[in-house]
Amino acid sequence: MLEVKDLKKKFGRKQVLKGVSFTAKKGEITCLIGINGVGKTTILNAIMRLTAINGGQILLNGESITKKSYEKITFIPDAITVMPHMKISEAMQFMDDFYDCWNEKRATELLDFFKLNANDRVSSLSKGNTAKVNLLLGLAMDVDYVLMDEPFSGIDMFSREKIAEVFTTHLIEDRGVIITTHEISDIEHLIDHVVLLDNGRVLKEFATEEVREQEGKSVVDVMREVYQA
Amino acid sequence: MSNYLKLVNFELSRFMKLYVVMICFTIIMQITGVIVKSKSYMGLANEEMYKNMMSKTEFINQHGEFSFYWLTQSIWFMGPIALCGAALLFYMFLIWYRDWLGKNTFIYRLLMIPTARMNVYLAKATTIFLMVIGMVALQLALFPVEAVVMQWMVPVDFRLDLNILQTIFSLNFAAVLFPLTPTEFFLWYGAGAMSILVIFTAILFERSFRWKGILIGVVYIALSVGLLMLPVLIDEFFMYGYLYPIELVGITIVMGLLVTGMSLFTSHYLLNKKVTV
Repeated sequence: MLEVKDLKKKFGRKQVLKGVSFTAKKGEITCLIGINGVGKTTILNAIMRLTAINGGQILLNGESITKKSYEKITFIPDAITVMPHMKISEAMQFMDDFYDCWNEKRATELLDFFKLNANDRVSSLSKGNTAKVNLLLGLAMDVDYVLMDEPFSGIDMFSREKIAEVFTTHLIEDRGVIITTHEISDIEHLIDHVVLLDNGRVLKEFATEEVREQEGKSVVDVMREVYQA
Repeated sequence: MSNYLKLVNFELSRFMKLYVVMICFTIIMQITGVIVKSKSYMGLANEEMYKNMMSKTEFINQHGEFSFYWLTQSIWFMGPIALCGAALLFYMFLIWYRDWLGKNTFIYRLLMIPTARMNVYLAKATTIFLMVIGMVALQLALFPVEAVVMQWMVPVDFRLDLNILQTIFSLNFAAVLFPLTPTEFFLWYGAGAMSILVIFTAILFERSFRWKGILIGVVYIALSVGLLMLPVLIDEFFMYGYLYPIELVGITIVMGLLVTGMSLFTSHYLLNKKVTV
């Protein structure tokens, strides 16, 4: 279980996160939703210790995140995280060199799935294909949790469909996923758990199945209800 | 340890293209320099002897024998050394900032490697250090080659052959770049390594606190230099001649170790608690 407890973060004088708490479970897709600047990326960065926090706790299976946690949790940020002159094969080799949890077989499978050429240089790829390389590097690791920051941002419809397809294949398996996205419609039917954020706090947290069955509402319906209230 | 070595290898391979360019540039410039300077000396000798009817002895008395010293005082020799020095100094900043800035933010990958973040830091510092050592070794290897070229170009009567040690002694900066004793090596190269760590720490301050970090970084560098110079300053201005030179050196070494330790400790803290992608 990945627990975010009372997370606080300031940028200068601006308090971006004012005590955010939620839990993500293995085998579930948790979606963080909120308008731009609400702190979704900051939460993911904080989980990965990529930004300093001003308060709160982040626990993976009851323990603080350490360097060892990077073998259990991976982050696919909304940024190109490989060097431009690298070939895809070289980026894969880099991961293989440093991560025990790197799964070469799955990496090759993902390469085929995304129809990428291992000899292509990252600098020569389109935005969609670069996003796919980022996904490949993150998903080819045998980890318990995958964090994804805006995986559909600025990508064409066909690439978005291909990326969304990942969630319905064995490539995700029973891993826990925390995803931030504005393109809810692409994955709405796949989300298990939603955390709605606003003004640095959690406005509402719910299980999509429950809301669908008990109230007959979609995620977008609940979003409208909460944000337009 | 294994991840540290892998990271060093990775950083070295990232810089290798530019490094090979620097090596080729140094070799070409210095060898060309030997040829140009030798030709110009011999041209002058021919002119003086055939046109002005000067004897060989007179010419040598007036202009001196051609030795390596002629070359070392020219832009052909000093130029590449200065340029490589500047490139390595620039690379001390680039080695960090290229991972953060630009379209590709490789720093995400580096900070998420399941190893101590200090390995990333030490690998970058080691890379710079090895590059410097490599350039110095190249220069040492070039001296005999350049001497042979000089011997081809200038007849024995006109030249003064120097061995490597004599050549090194003829350079102004020899004591720093080419230390002759292990103690000197540890002193000068230790000071160099310490400088790399101090600058890296200042960079991490900037990466952690951005605009405020620049100020903190500058203050940190000033503080480090101040601490290192403290024994000398006290001896010079407050207790003149109170300490023996060996004691002064000893205390300065202790201060250097203190600054190195302070840089490592601060960098460890910043990398683990404060740095932001």
